[in-house]
Amino acid sequence: MELLRPSSVEELDGGVFVHGGTEVVPLLRDGLLEAETLVDVRGVVPRGVSDGVIGAGTTLGELEVEPSIPDALREACRLAASPQLRNMGSLGGNLLQSSRCWYWRLDYPCRLHGGDRCHARDGEHREHAIFANDFCASAHPSDVAAALVALGARLRTNRRELRVEELYRLPDEADRHTTTLEDGELILEVELPDVEASVYLKAMDRKRWSFPQVGVAAARVGGGVRIALAGVAPIPWRIDSIEALDNATPLPRTEWKLPLARALVGRALAQLD
Amino acid sequence: MDVSVTVNGTTYARDVEPRKLLIHFLRDDLDLTGSHIGCDTGNCGACSVIVDGVLVKSCMLLAVQADGASIETVEGISENGELTPLQQSFNEHHALQCGYCTPGMLMSATALLRDNASPSDAEIKKALQGNICRCTGYWNIFEAVKAVAK
Repeated sequence: MELLRPSSVEELDGGVFVHGGTEVVPLLRDGLLEAETLVDVRGVVPRGVSDGVIGAGTTLGELEVEPSIPDALREACRLAASPQLRNMGSLGGNLLQSSRCWYWRLDYPCRLHGGDRCHARDGEHREHAIFANDFCASAHPSDVAAALVALGARLRTNRRELRVEELYRLPDEADRHTTTLEDGELILEVELPDVEASVYLKAMDRKRWSFPQVGVAAARVGGGVRIALAGVAPIPWRIDSIEALDNATPLPRTEWKLPLARALVGRALAQLD
Repeated sequence: MDVSVTVNGTTYARDVEPRKLLIHFLRDDLDLTGSHIGCDTGNCGACSVIVDGVLVKSCMLLAVQADGASIETVEGISENGELTPLQQSFNEHHALQCGYCTPGMLMSATALLRDNASPSDAEIKKALQGNICRCTGYWNIFEAVKAVAK
């Protein structure tokens, strides 16, 4: 394995990108990701916040104390991981976290690994999804992604601009990926609209430093209210209203997440008023 | 791959396999075994070190990513061979039982006190969130840090 350290976007030429290391290093170690060439992109990806544009290389630790960003994003950063990991992990990397499903992590031949069944559906799935869980029942772990979806943020990559929602896709038979990112595509910046008010609420197994059982981001943007949830579907999950929770399809041992989601969405909307 | 780092003020140049973690580089290549490997999965914080002024878990970082960096480990925090007030306080408050988590706890508390010499109780607890004590001796650790907070 070799490591490259490009200093400009133009120098990018394949390989596996690594920034803080908190996502890629464990995947490499567990053999879930293989790389002949690692590309340290810290010299390429912008870092820092300026006029509503956040460099994707800004760490969660920097964002959790950044006064100029919306409350939902700051809170989502603050409630993620542990202090050391927030000091390392970048905003862009956080959006690209792999599934925390234990079957996927243990390399079961599940659908995300190209297999023909979701082991969680029949097996242990307490942490799993209550929406869109027919093909793959994993629950998206990123607090930050839910916040950015609710805020209506946009991404700039080295190839295109897109809404954060458009970064994600539900896996299906033909394509097992959960993002639309192409090989060689790198998130460079996150752009935020003017946000009137926003909130992020998170239920965890313990008080701190845990993936979301359910995370709820709500934002008042452009006169409307946007809601997005973490930990409830294989990708960050947007709902139009609290009533949309009635359409959930929980598994036998994820039913407990539904009243939790209902309570958190209700509380988040009340806090926006 | 050539890596040059400064650890506790001493510069080391070594040829490092890119897949090697920083914690293994520190312990196996540089023989700095003060930083411990507890979980090897980014959870326990026993391997916490300070890289370019930032507290990190050295099991989640490749050694080659630290090329050019200035690193501080638990071996480097004492002053002229004397325990720092924080280390002395850990001693006085019995803030270690088996001692396995202590290097990481000391580095997290050192990083805290450097940024904020007068942390509140909540700020101390938050700063130690990423460190697990398997003896569950958290209270004495908290008391030791609190005692040296101004």
